[in-house]
Amino acid sequence: MVKVYTVAGCPWCEKVKKYLASKDVEFEEHDIERSKEDAEACRKLTGIEGAVPVTTIDNENYVLDFDKEQLDKLLCL
Amino acid sequence: MAKAHVHKDVIVIGAGMAGLTAAMYVGRMNLDVLVLESGIIGGQIANAVSIENYPGFVSVSGADLISTLQKQAENFGAVVDEFDSIVKVTLKNNPKIVETEEKIYEADVVIIASGMNRRKLPLPEERKFSGRGVHYCELCDGHMYQNKIIAVMGGGNAAVDAANFLTKYADKLYLIHRSEFRADEVSQKRLRQNPKVEVMLQTEIKALHGAGRLENIDVLDKNSGTTKNLAVDGIFVNIGVVPNTELFKDELQLSKSGRIIAGEDCRTEIKGVFAAGDVREKEIRQLTTAAADGTTAALLAEKYLSRLKESV
Repeated sequence: MVKVYTVAGCPWCEKVKKYLASKDVEFEEHDIERSKEDAEACRKLTGIEGAVPVTTIDNENYVLDFDKEQLDKLLCL
Repeated sequence: MAKAHVHKDVIVIGAGMAGLTAAMYVGRMNLDVLVLESGIIGGQIANAVSIENYPGFVSVSGADLISTLQKQAENFGAVVDEFDSIVKVTLKNNPKIVETEEKIYEADVVIIASGMNRRKLPLPEERKFSGRGVHYCELCDGHMYQNKIIAVMGGGNAAVDAANFLTKYADKLYLIHRSEFRADEVSQKRLRQNPKVEVMLQTEIKALHGAGRLENIDVLDKNSGTTKNLAVDGIFVNIGVVPNTELFKDELQLSKSGRIIAGEDCRTEIKGVFAAGDVREKEIRQLTTAAADGTTAALLAEKYLSRLKESV
């Protein structure tokens, strides 16, 4: 399952979510402000504290921010 | 595979206040309108936590205002595409060509409402610390600074409003600005009354330091000529904007500041090409004037299209 780490109100997070929806990609949203576990998992993945949006499919490879080309590559779109 | 050719009556470039207002008006006139946006819907105001100077609203978030406007435009038939970026425009011939990554659009009218982007911090260390202490989106990154020390750089309304918002996270916030405030009195007063805030006017950030992420900055006091080192965890940069006109520089006349030269009627030097909102060279750039430009451009675009169709 694709995971997107977000925070509420972040416009780039919204853009990533809309893009995935436009491509019929199912995803789980993890708000890192609402869950310490998610915040820690996101930090562990990227090495950067609090950076969002982060999209991953395997908890190893990820795309930080909205980068259409990289998202297409990560998710084989 | 060759790109598909698609005809549109009107293409609006940019989905901020000017672009979406234009799209709403054009849509209401039963014209086929496409809005192309490669950044964030709403542009600069998407980041605004509370807008208090838009008529009809005591206070509204940029996201709510723009989302309502997008719905209004779409209800009248406008299509907004925020995932297909423009690679090239050719405006001098008819139809005008707007080539995106996926398609080649032919349009009778192009309304350019591409707005502006935030100016980057002009220091060599900016790239090293970008996202690691240097930020440009308060709504995206403000949460990282719970109980930390933040500096906001800038003295206009956007900077002061950003600082007011960020005090909800920070224990201490420095407002650093190289001259005097340009923000309106209401926002300034709110900021100055906040005990977490220290306003440092006539000051400039001269260097950023840190191992891996930002830890402290050198700040020059322009009055005394002395530099002091301040421990900060993050800086939010709000030192003005640069117009998004790179795509148009070979097609249209630009002002010294890089904005498109067009009259109050939003007409550019090319018939059928209009410039609306902050991207147009003008003295006053507000949300209300962006909406006014979008309206003007749309109504005059319809007039132009009617004449064009009559002449065929």
